[in-house]
Amino acid sequence: MSKIIAENVNVYYGSKQALFDVSIDIAEKEVTALIGPSGCGKSTFLRCLNRMNDVIDICRVEGSIKMDDLELNSRKLDVVRLRENVGMVFQKPNPFPKTIYENVAYGPTIHGIAQSKEEMDQIVETSLKKAALWNEVKDRLDEIGTGLSGGQQQRLCIARAISVSPEVILMDEPCSALDPIATAQIEELIDDLKKEVTIVIVTHSMSQAARVSQKTGFFHLGKLIEFGSTEKIFKNPDKQQTQDYITGRFG
Amino acid sequence: MNNYKKNLLKKRYNAERRFQWYGKIAIGLALTFLAVFMFQIFSKGYSAFQKTWIVTEVHYDKELLLIDAESPSKDDLENADYYDVAYKAMTSLDPGLPEEEDRQLIQMVSYKYETEVKDLLLKNPDFLGKIVPIKLTASDDVDQVHKGNYPRDIPEKNRRVNDYQLQIYDMLNERGDILSEFNISFFTNPDSREAELAGIASSFMGTVFSILVCLAFSFPIAVLAAIYLEEFAPKNKFTDFIEVNINNLAAVPSIVFGLLGLGILLAVFNLPRSTPLVGGITLSLMTLPTIIIAARASLKAVPPSIREAALAMGASNMQTTMHHTVPLSMPGTLSGTIIGLAQALGETAPLILIGMVAFVNTIPGTPVDPAASLPVQIYIWSESAERGFVEKVSACIMVLLAFLILMNLAAQIVRHKFEKKWS
Repeated sequence: MSKIIAENVNVYYGSKQALFDVSIDIAEKEVTALIGPSGCGKSTFLRCLNRMNDVIDICRVEGSIKMDDLELNSRKLDVVRLRENVGMVFQKPNPFPKTIYENVAYGPTIHGIAQSKEEMDQIVETSLKKAALWNEVKDRLDEIGTGLSGGQQQRLCIARAISVSPEVILMDEPCSALDPIATAQIEELIDDLKKEVTIVIVTHSMSQAARVSQKTGFFHLGKLIEFGSTEKIFKNPDKQQTQDYITGRFG
Repeated sequence: MNNYKKNLLKKRYNAERRFQWYGKIAIGLALTFLAVFMFQIFSKGYSAFQKTWIVTEVHYDKELLLIDAESPSKDDLENADYYDVAYKAMTSLDPGLPEEEDRQLIQMVSYKYETEVKDLLLKNPDFLGKIVPIKLTASDDVDQVHKGNYPRDIPEKNRRVNDYQLQIYDMLNERGDILSEFNISFFTNPDSREAELAGIASSFMGTVFSILVCLAFSFPIAVLAAIYLEEFAPKNKFTDFIEVNINNLAAVPSIVFGLLGLGILLAVFNLPRSTPLVGGITLSLMTLPTIIIAARASLKAVPPSIREAALAMGASNMQTTMHHTVPLSMPGTLSGTIIGLAQALGETAPLILIGMVAFVNTIPGTPVDPAASLPVQIYIWSESAERGFVEKVSACIMVLLAFLILMNLAAQIVRHKFEKKWS
């Protein structure tokens, strides 16, 4: 079943076009990986899904992106509600310079999800447990989140993203700043999360895409060259360009 | 390694060594200037913190005080006539002096000596009828003689202290009746025409009130302007124009703001002149651009990743700004504010224009009472001819410098202590 259906999406930064007629179906409760060389538009596309491109003044998005029949690329859309449903994890871990507890409790607080202190404690605990961080930080929830190691910070950001129970989580190269051990932990986490959440992940690492995703899309120069099941893309792609990229002949 | 390469390497090391020396010389020169400046001020000013007293005896004679009551009340003492008692206290220093020459002795103490005689009895009512020793503030001429600032070898007619007075001074000094103590009255007295009585209380309070008014006006306005411009305003020609103008405003000579204060605050709004209220508002015009620029810079320094994190969690622009960006920028904003206020603290020209240069011999209790300010006080005293004021100018500069150092220290502490680190 499709969670997000994008049709003919074109994105412009000023007069420069960054995405050309991208159409893609993202399936529910699966991991969709977007791969491609730097500057190919995969992150731009990801940021269309929670309207983070809004903060860039000169950015203009055309086309239709529907999530459960809700048109995302519409002026009337309430972006605050959208972002409550579509969480995001960034390339560089960016916890707030506040305590670990406050980091996780921030989303539920501003969206009025928890009614009481006990409920909030519960949400913080569950989120940290789901992010596989609870055992490491349960005794120091009042320490500053930025004091954790890089991998722990990134898991804290994931805990923060899932604290508001989103339906979709977008990940923009979540492991590029992490060492192999932390990367393995995050990948394991992605595997667990996909039972409940739809995940779209942008990654530079083809092996990571092969490990964690069910569907893969290959972007090049702003165009979606090929999209299909991960197995097919990596073993038997239709397009020569895809073949060249995954075998490392360019990019 | 061939010779050419060796020479090149040597040249590179020499160039670096030379460059380091240029830097060291530059810093050495700067420190020398500072040391000369400090030495000038301290060597001239330190004596102002010493006050000279003349000790004599006073007889609280009921008859001379014109007190009739057997056991006089506080009111009786308050209303008694101290003129004769005080006069006698001074003339008793040299009983042989003919009456028409008495003035020479009286001139050796401050003109407020009668008040000092009165205050001692009011404090100790049981002195009534007794002969007790009393400390009287020496006149500034005697004060300067005692501090050695006054040449004794010039001809008598060019001297403010004549031979007879010097003789009395020497006699008193030998008896140990000239005292030198820490000058508390320099900090507790308002300004005065007499150097021995002049203090910085009124100008110090004027400065404190001006700075508080300045803070109250400039901080909220500047911070709101900076937040709007940095976080909400669209980036277009109009906001560019505003930015250029704010930067220009920061470079406008302060006297222009003084004229603005004079023309608008005093002439149009009829605010009370010579007051810290008007002074503070005028100074806030000056600090406003400084704080706006500092606040914008520290808002800009908050990493965009924090904003993205908050926005991606579904925070509105307002929430992102108020929950994350502004608190993170506060240390920078506050230290910028303190530095802006420290600049305002040393400002003289605009305050002169709005009338804070007036002679004020009362200590202001509120921002709407007339007052001077420390830099203006320096300006006023530096125009006085008496020697007593020369050391006062330097002492006042020292107080101002201490104030400035404290504020800059506060700015440093705020910046280092409250600055949050992000990854």
